[in-house]
Amino acid sequence: MSGCTGLWPLLRLALRRDRIRLPVWLLALAFMTFYFANAIQIGYPDEADLEAIVGFMNSPAGTVMSGPGYGWDHPTHATTFAGAYALYLHLGAAFMAILLVSRHTRAEEEAGRLELVRAAEVGRHAPLVATGILSVGASVILGVLSALFLIPAGYGAVGSWLFGMSMAMVAVVFGAIALVTAQLSEHARSATGLASLAIGLAVAIRGTGDVLEPHGSWLSWLSPLAWAQQTRVFYDDRWWPLLLGIVLAGGVFALASRLHARRDLGAGLLATGVGSTRAPRHLRTPFALAFRLERGAILGWSGALFVLGALYGGLTNSVQSSLGDLDNDLVIDALGGDPTQMVNGYLATCVLFNAYVVLCYAVVAAHRLVIEERDGRAEVALAATVSRPRWLLASFATALLGALVALAAAGIGMGTTAALVTGQAGHFRDVLSGTLYYLPAIAVLLGVAVVGFALRPAWLNLAWIAVVFAMVTGYLGFALDLPDPVMDLSPLSHIAQVPLETQEPLPLVMLTAIAAALLAIALVRFRSRDLTTG
Amino acid sequence: MSAIIQINQLVKDFGPVRALDGLDMTVQSGEVAAFLGPNGAGKSTTIRVLLGLLKADSGSAALLGGDPWRDAVALHRRLVYVPGEVTLWPQLTGGEAIDVLHRLRSNASGPRRGELIERFELDPSKKCRTYSKGNRQKVALIAALSSDVELYVLEEPTSGLDPLMEVVFTDRVRELRDEGRTVLLSSHILAEVEKLCDTVTIRNGQTVQAGRLEELRHLTRSHVVATVRQDPTGLARIEGVHDFEVLEEGEISFTLDRDRTSDVMKALAALDLLGVTSNPPSLEELFLRQYTSDGTSR
Repeated sequence: MSGCTGLWPLLRLALRRDRIRLPVWLLALAFMTFYFANAIQIGYPDEADLEAIVGFMNSPAGTVMSGPGYGWDHPTHATTFAGAYALYLHLGAAFMAILLVSRHTRAEEEAGRLELVRAAEVGRHAPLVATGILSVGASVILGVLSALFLIPAGYGAVGSWLFGMSMAMVAVVFGAIALVTAQLSEHARSATGLASLAIGLAVAIRGTGDVLEPHGSWLSWLSPLAWAQQTRVFYDDRWWPLLLGIVLAGGVFALASRLHARRDLGAGLLATGVGSTRAPRHLRTPFALAFRLERGAILGWSGALFVLGALYGGLTNSVQSSLGDLDNDLVIDALGGDPTQMVNGYLATCVLFNAYVVLCYAVVAAHRLVIEERDGRAEVALAATVSRPRWLLASFATALLGALVALAAAGIGMGTTAALVTGQAGHFRDVLSGTLYYLPAIAVLLGVAVVGFALRPAWLNLAWIAVVFAMVTGYLGFALDLPDPVMDLSPLSHIAQVPLETQEPLPLVMLTAIAAALLAIALVRFRSRDLTTG
Repeated sequence: MSAIIQINQLVKDFGPVRALDGLDMTVQSGEVAAFLGPNGAGKSTTIRVLLGLLKADSGSAALLGGDPWRDAVALHRRLVYVPGEVTLWPQLTGGEAIDVLHRLRSNASGPRRGELIERFELDPSKKCRTYSKGNRQKVALIAALSSDVELYVLEEPTSGLDPLMEVVFTDRVRELRDEGRTVLLSSHILAEVEKLCDTVTIRNGQTVQAGRLEELRHLTRSHVVATVRQDPTGLARIEGVHDFEVLEEGEISFTLDRDRTSDVMKALAALDLLGVTSNPPSLEELFLRQYTSDGTSR
């Protein structure tokens, strides 16, 4: 078939380009599987501990954050792993696939390298098919590695293989979806964004569907993520839900190739609109520019957080009924330690969860610094009359402002629905203020990001280590029983679980001071390093 | 000679924008053909249609006797292409990138790879991300010019190259011409086109002027500077004289339609001619004349 001429050299090129990145993704995800599977055996040695965590996961909030859960009358480590942690591994697999596909399709096309490739003896469909093969291949390898890494945990070989293959299925499906979004938009970033939106929708659909009925309702079945969970792995191993994924992926691959055949090189199916011919009057400072460039992302994340918050808030009433008859100390600990304050505990947990999302957004926004420098736009700005501190400050301020808007959106969304369904107007104020209190903590992590960046662009990633640390201590700290000094290292641990607790002003002042100090260090340090150019 | 490229009434729209509106163009086998035009004139669009990367909305385009869209892969075996803006894979070295570009066609690299790397003074062991624009251009040119094909399509091939490297490039294109290969070169650098090319296609919106360089010169005006003793103002009224100017006492300058040369020279002689210089139009003038689409230079 001449449409696929050149497939083999293209695959070799793709593998050569990804020879570090792809193995890192695969091994990291397989290792996460290994880690979760073994960590819960250490963290929760007894069935009583498992019942505690499972009890929490059975609540609406827990269900949204994990999955339907099977075999939880007498939870084992295997069923707890599958019910409570698998979702995050599936999400990792989905993101691996969409980033891989975006990187090898639209990003190549946008950069102009695909033009060079297609002018050679390369069939029209070869790049698309090569990426498809690469994506499916990587997914299957991920599945096999995950299974192999899971077997030593002692959960049984058949279930381990089923779990591995469910990882592969999720990755294949979202890889196919990313192949379609790569046809829709002219820009790799929007293509990745659209595919991420599909992942978000899949999470939201299965979350809502699973809350409607125990073990999932019809709505859950509209989400590919639910199919992976409906394998009931380690409880009642079912292979057939994976077939749904294979069928969907096949259909979506076919759609991608249809769309691809209909368009010109470089073109998207979603038209890029025309814009203003003049820059608006206010667009004259580095901050105004940074904000203008970040505007779309701020709106997108804030909108998504508003919806997510509204969803959590809307479930407030059902918390009381499902948790009311629980008398499990660990669940109660997890939700704040006071059985009479179940609703407040639920709200505080959801507020924390929203803050995690905003935290991730803020660090993603700070990454703009690295991209601007790498692509030479920083050079242009700094060659003009913009000082280095001012340029760095502009991006820091934009990320922080974005975080503030996103926190407010999440707080307003959740506070409104929580107040509406419970009829208690006070929830609105509590949830909104409780959410906004996280801003100084986020500022500290942004400070870590800019200090890292000021030393060396790639060191901005230090902030991710801090983020993961903050999340692990916040999410699992109570169960891992970490010593206080360790917990205190996380800036998030100094924020009160409003409305369960009240926020003291001192920690907020301290965090703000630390953030300011980090920023000052970054501003000074950034003046004395070479700019990466070329 | 046979036509390597034959385009008739080619139309291409991007949404509401018409990029090509009835373009005609012919390139014969063994020619070094230049394709000139201001930014946005549709040069790249035309080349991308020829490469089968864009599908024409109407009109016809034939390349090496085939249909560029339908027979893309078979035709690409017989041509190489260097885009105007070269981007390479940042993780690969220059040498790896050259090999990848060769392997993407079945008649892979020849013995010329090493020779051209040497001539272009490229360090092939560096990663592409560290290359300057000029060095990225060299990588693409080496990959293309070391290939053994019938047609070389080069878009702005010397942009980013230093003058010494431009000489290397020019030499290599001459070698290709001597071997009877066909080269289509889109360019803004007129000196290069004048040095290298046999034929020129000039494109500005809908108007296209095409032909051999000498023929085109024939169609246009010479620039004349003359010194005369008598009052020269009457010359301005003679048919075929344009842009008449008195530079200083007795010295005049004007442009002259070539087919009126004889009449005008007689009139000049009658004015007590002391000296005259006449220059054929440079490509520069040709270019500017075609580009300024208002009537002033007609």
